[in-house]
Amino acid sequence: MSRRKGQQATRGSEAGPRGGTGAPVYATTDEVVEQPSTGLHAAPAEEHRLEAREDVRPTDDAADADEDGPDVEPTPSPALPAASPRELRGLMKDWRRGRATRNLGQALSDAYVAVIAALMLGAMTVNVIIKAQRVVADCSSASCLSARALLPWAAVLAAVATALAVARLFGPVLASAAEGFWLLDAPVSRSKLLRSRLVAALVGALVGGAVIGGLISLLTGSGGPESAVWAVATGLSASAAVAASAAQQGRERHRLSRAASFVFGLLGVVALLGVVGVAADWFTLRLSTTLGTEIGAVVAGLAVVLLLGGTVLAASRLSSIRRTRLVSGGSLVKGISGAFFALDIGLARDIVVQRRTMEVGHVTPRRGHGEGLQALTWREWQRLRRFPQPLVAWAGTIVVPYASEALGLSAVTPVFGALALFGATVPMLNGLRVLTRTGGLARCLPFSMAQIKLAVVTAPAILAAVWAVAVGPAFAGVAGGAAGRTFGEASLMAVATAAAGLLAAIRWTQAKGVDFSKPMVSTQAGALPPGLVTNLFRGFDVCLLATAPMLLGFSPLWSLAIEAITAIVLFNSFDAESMQAKQKEAQRQMDLQKRERESQAAMARQRKR
Amino acid sequence: MAKRATVLKVSGLRRAFGPNTIFEKFNLEVRAGEAIALTGRNGAGKSTLLRCLVGADRPDDGTIEVCGNPMSETNPQVRRDVATVIDDLDFFPDLSVVEHLDLLARAHGITDPDAQVDEVLEEVQLVPQSGQLPGTLSSGQRRRLALATAFVRPRRLLILDEPEQRLDVEGVGWLSRRLQAERQQGLAIVFASHEPTLVESVATRVVTLGAPRG
Repeated sequence: MSRRKGQQATRGSEAGPRGGTGAPVYATTDEVVEQPSTGLHAAPAEEHRLEAREDVRPTDDAADADEDGPDVEPTPSPALPAASPRELRGLMKDWRRGRATRNLGQALSDAYVAVIAALMLGAMTVNVIIKAQRVVADCSSASCLSARALLPWAAVLAAVATALAVARLFGPVLASAAEGFWLLDAPVSRSKLLRSRLVAALVGALVGGAVIGGLISLLTGSGGPESAVWAVATGLSASAAVAASAAQQGRERHRLSRAASFVFGLLGVVALLGVVGVAADWFTLRLSTTLGTEIGAVVAGLAVVLLLGGTVLAASRLSSIRRTRLVSGGSLVKGISGAFFALDIGLARDIVVQRRTMEVGHVTPRRGHGEGLQALTWREWQRLRRFPQPLVAWAGTIVVPYASEALGLSAVTPVFGALALFGATVPMLNGLRVLTRTGGLARCLPFSMAQIKLAVVTAPAILAAVWAVAVGPAFAGVAGGAAGRTFGEASLMAVATAAAGLLAAIRWTQAKGVDFSKPMVSTQAGALPPGLVTNLFRGFDVCLLATAPMLLGFSPLWSLAIEAITAIVLFNSFDAESMQAKQKEAQRQMDLQKRERESQAAMARQRKR
Repeated sequence: MAKRATVLKVSGLRRAFGPNTIFEKFNLEVRAGEAIALTGRNGAGKSTLLRCLVGADRPDDGTIEVCGNPMSETNPQVRRDVATVIDDLDFFPDLSVVEHLDLLARAHGITDPDAQVDEVLEEVQLVPQSGQLPGTLSSGQRRRLALATAFVRPRRLLILDEPEQRLDVEGVGWLSRRLQAERQQGLAIVFASHEPTLVESVATRVVTLGAPRG
């Protein structure tokens, strides 16, 4: 081999794909081209790696070539045809296979665990369905049957709204950052590359929707064929929604899918309210209870038409989706999945909030009001006015205590109410979240942390008070249920329930991420960082703890007392971290005093001598 | 000439991570109108020292006093006196650039917040971005917003960690002039920097941390 040839081979391998198929696609010498090159030739990956190592090993000859200069004229490179998307995918598949880190035994062991887990979950689900069907078998009154007939509709509407919202958030067609950099820049047909992504999104929505629709239908006592039809109808509707969203993605428009998501969500809530209202005999609704299968089939038929139309449109627009849009969806998935792996739900929510605000991008600035802490509180109201969606959810939760009482579940109404308000209040605490997740912004404000927290939760606290007033009649038995409560007791229960929901949301929002640098805790499930699992129950614990006295039939005053203590703890940040810091500080002071005493004693001894 | 008041007093400060001592027996006294530049190689402890000074990190030993008050991040008086720009600054995702500044100015009780915000916004050249949400800003613009949060509010001590980071040449020039003016108005400044021109033009004293690589 000539010196020049050796040098070219080295350079080519370095520039080629890492550790993969070794020889470069743009090789310039005959010797290099002769080597088994890309993974497209289906040679074993390990063999390729070894060859690649041989190629990259610098030789003395190659090193000398730089000093001596070339003694062979470079030959013009033969033009190789560009790889097709299929070939590129095949190449990546080949690399991945070559880097398998598990042997057959380990793979079989994993598969065994997965099958057992699926069987256990399946058995639990079937058990729940059978029990639910036994319970609803008693449902024979006209109002109960009408309410049951409404539920599959609510499921379809909710599935479509969710599919639209999730599709808009992630893409629905997306690509990872690596794919965006390495593949989408290549001179290949982007639509061919992305077609499988579109199909995956559609199939995912179809399966997810079908599972939800089928489960709800089965749980409400529908027969097998009717449940199957509603499962298919819900799945196809969700898939059609994703197809429509993908078609919009190709045109960089989202207004229609956003509006559709809102309308379907609203209709879903109305359907749910209808279910509660009809079941509680607040009003009557004449729905056919015998034509469920036929109606489901019509819904499925309509969804198929929409799905086909949407898919054709989306497929024809795949090539016009911008790379940034594709990659941002991929990075969002990566971020959220990372947060979920760390069981940090707060971080996952932060990522989604950040993404949504980035979509908005620009707002009309509004002048603040007041000064000091008043300015902070005022901004919270402005924030709610700017993004009022949480208020809609908050208003929707008012119906929960009424529904619970109407359905005869008086004993657990405080728990349901508190959990509902907890979920609705979290989105209103974005300000608290930012001020507590890092100390940077709070440090800019001339107030103590307790004052800051009080200022930013004033708006949600006022809304919680309004909520308590609004749900008071439910506890007093207006919607049926326990009519034996006095007005005073009902009012106290409403206040205690609202306070539980608010405090739970504050606790959830203030949750710090898991600190993986701390010593692990030994558990039966293996070593876990402290706080990993407890973080999952943050907020829910306050809900249950604060409502437990009411659940057990004690006076709501006990709940209020527990809530007062919880509030003191939450607002003064007596969390584990600051307690540890204070303990450390006290220890440091004691050490200092001890050292002083020792030095004084040493000096006294010296003087004696 | 009357002796200027001591704004920051650091005595016998020590910080170690395990067996690795970052700094120990560190003493520093900064008076009004003084600017201290912390220099040194990467990992010399500049940022750690600044984090201790602003209360974001806890020293293992020693004391820090700001205007006579013991340093405590939770002390509202200390928060009122010290303006900081270090790496942990966060932004509200749903408030625009100008609303952040307006909020800070009002929280600190500035008498004419609108005029103050307009002036600072103009100075950091973020007027066109005033309605943008922070997530959409470039890294340089975010840095300018971070600096603006320090300039829009009253302060006696300014602590900055590599303030020139992500600023363009023009931006560094502006920052240099601004810090000089702040110092001349009697503000105490402590900043870490790798930018020789900034150190030269702003600092009245230079403290080099860590042993040079050798």
